[in-house]
Amino acid sequence: MRLLLSVLAALALAVGAAQAQTIRILMETVPDTRYIQELLPQFEEETGIDVEIEAISYIDMHSKLVPQLIAPEGSYDLIVVDFYWVGEFTKAGWLMPLDDLVERDGVDVDVYVPKLMDLVGRVDGVLYMLPFYNYSMALIYRQDLIDDADEQAAFQEAYGMELRVPQTWDEYWKQVEFFTRDTDGDGNRDFYGTVIQGQRGDCISMQWANYLYSQGGLYHDENWNPLLDTPEAIRAMEYYREAVENYSPAGSEAYCFDEAFNVMAQGRAYSFVTFNILYAGFEDPESSEVAGKVGITPNPGGGLNGGWGWAIPNSSPNKEAAWTFMKWAESAAVAKERAMLGGAPTQAQIFTDPDVMAARPYYPILGEILAGTKDFPVFTYTTEFVEQVGLELNLAATGEKPVAEAMAAAQEKLHALLVKDGKIEE
Amino acid sequence: MSVATAGGLTLAGRDRRFGLLLTAPGLLALILVITFPLFFTLFTSVHDYTLLTPNYDTFVGLENYQEALDEEYLPDSLWVTTKFVLASVVIEFIIGFAVALSLHATRRFQSIYYLILLAPLLINPVVVGLLWRMLLHSELGIVNYAIGLVGISPVSWLGDADVAFWTVVLTDIWHQVSFMAILLVAGLAALPREPYEAARMDGASTISCFIHITLPLMRPVIAVAILLRLIFAIKTFDIVFIMTKGGPGTATDLISYYIYRAAFFGLDIGRASAMAAGLLVIILALTVYLYRYMNSLK
Repeated sequence: MRLLLSVLAALALAVGAAQAQTIRILMETVPDTRYIQELLPQFEEETGIDVEIEAISYIDMHSKLVPQLIAPEGSYDLIVVDFYWVGEFTKAGWLMPLDDLVERDGVDVDVYVPKLMDLVGRVDGVLYMLPFYNYSMALIYRQDLIDDADEQAAFQEAYGMELRVPQTWDEYWKQVEFFTRDTDGDGNRDFYGTVIQGQRGDCISMQWANYLYSQGGLYHDENWNPLLDTPEAIRAMEYYREAVENYSPAGSEAYCFDEAFNVMAQGRAYSFVTFNILYAGFEDPESSEVAGKVGITPNPGGGLNGGWGWAIPNSSPNKEAAWTFMKWAESAAVAKERAMLGGAPTQAQIFTDPDVMAARPYYPILGEILAGTKDFPVFTYTTEFVEQVGLELNLAATGEKPVAEAMAAAQEKLHALLVKDGKIEE
Repeated sequence: MSVATAGGLTLAGRDRRFGLLLTAPGLLALILVITFPLFFTLFTSVHDYTLLTPNYDTFVGLENYQEALDEEYLPDSLWVTTKFVLASVVIEFIIGFAVALSLHATRRFQSIYYLILLAPLLINPVVVGLLWRMLLHSELGIVNYAIGLVGISPVSWLGDADVAFWTVVLTDIWHQVSFMAILLVAGLAALPREPYEAARMDGASTISCFIHITLPLMRPVIAVAILLRLIFAIKTFDIVFIMTKGGPGTATDLISYYIYRAAFFGLDIGRASAMAAGLLVIILALTVYLYRYMNSLK
């Protein structure tokens, strides 16, 4: 009798295991991942599919993903792809085209902001990803200082112009200079006009892009000819160097965005050119001393366009369930709920949705920021480009290499990588 | 006189065979986990193996080695690594030995001191890096705050090239010095007491005891301690990965992080393998030299 019971129990277990599906997703530990996790029970209830999200820090993601993507059957059913891996992942053939699934299930992909669809959606006309969230870069500044009557008068006197939310780079730079101060009179600056995130590699590459766009510069022309030794690029680097020397904390040439965030969040800086997704952190009294005092606006001249896309790797063991999840996460209702929690939208209608705007009044500005962004070069060797150019930029920022020399080296590096990728001729 | 046995083997021979039999599984495992990856790396290093084309179709001979040697910033990285290894191992040895001697002479609360000493060693290097990165934050870190209280102006611990190098060295020392101390303490504890008693009878001072008895007797232990730390130091990765990303400029660009970038950012596993193989040769040469030196002491 007991034997029979245990056999039955074993059978029941086996049947149960066959029915319950589990999908595994590798994600980054960022707020937008948290919002997905909060909403997960809905999905599991609706579909009976269990979801295991493995959330790790950005620096480990690429090296963890690649072996799984090369394998015939990897351990992740669904992944998220940073925009600068897009060239590499699609060139290597690791991502599954989604066009057939979209057509079969009648999913409307025209809801996405076209800029994001180009960045983390379609590659050469093939749909590989659905845009998940955007981290376009913007100017975060102290609204309370701009609104202060005394500051306004002093600024008017010093520069002969009105103190307002900066519309041009020139105006912004005057404000940066104006607000850099020694507040306790000990001879050392202790309030900064801007905060640099100048650490070698990714951190400086991302922030400097905004400086480049501010000067009307670009990484390459429409034929992929690199433009990093142009007067615009050199001027952008000169501004950056000036910020490191005069307007940003000493040592900020080694900051990444988290260290820089804290300087601003502790009320020690007027402005910070960074990812729009950090804004929610400034508005949260738990992590910020300046909650309620900061504003966000497009970087004068344009900011960097950044984003993540959902993708199903070819090595995914359970593609159908992964697609079911992707459809759910990107459905109008869930995308809206994520935005209400603070998520960075990718679908156009969400930026101006009345409920979203009631909960997050600044979302229309995020839409504006996104509309004004420019693209970083996305090609097979973007990751290496970020490292190589990030080193030259850092050498110039720290003053170890003259600006013009560093930019000439950056130009050479970009050129070599584009040749290696077959984008341009030798 | 040897004891003949039925199988024609001596007792010693049979012992040896039995010993081989016992160690065979372990040896096999070692071959699998050490030799196999080693040869695989060498094999990869002579092929055009990238993450975009992960196959061994293109044999390129020594091209990967040549390419690596031609790289602009490789000499910087090698030089930084050499300086780092020398600085950290020498300073760790001096501090470690001093700590070991005082611990050896201590009778009370020894276990408490051990505990304190071991604490950093038990922390994951990634955590050590994060911890110090926060403590040394140039604006908001507690270290700059503390030195500010006594009137020293804030130091750009990770932003200034020269300072950043020493910051990384000191972080490594903070983390690893106890390893050296523990090894040396063990060595001291195993020293015979008689030579010291004899020396005391002859009226030798503490310093001459140290120079003429402790140092010569400790030489094998010192050699092992330095050898181990040397090998670990060459492979240091986590601290620079977390704290500096090799910057500012190339000031802290250790070779292991350099190779990592070639593999995972450059996607060029072939070239990374070539550099790893080169590094292996250097470490092997060091090991052989020190091993010979140790043997010569016996």
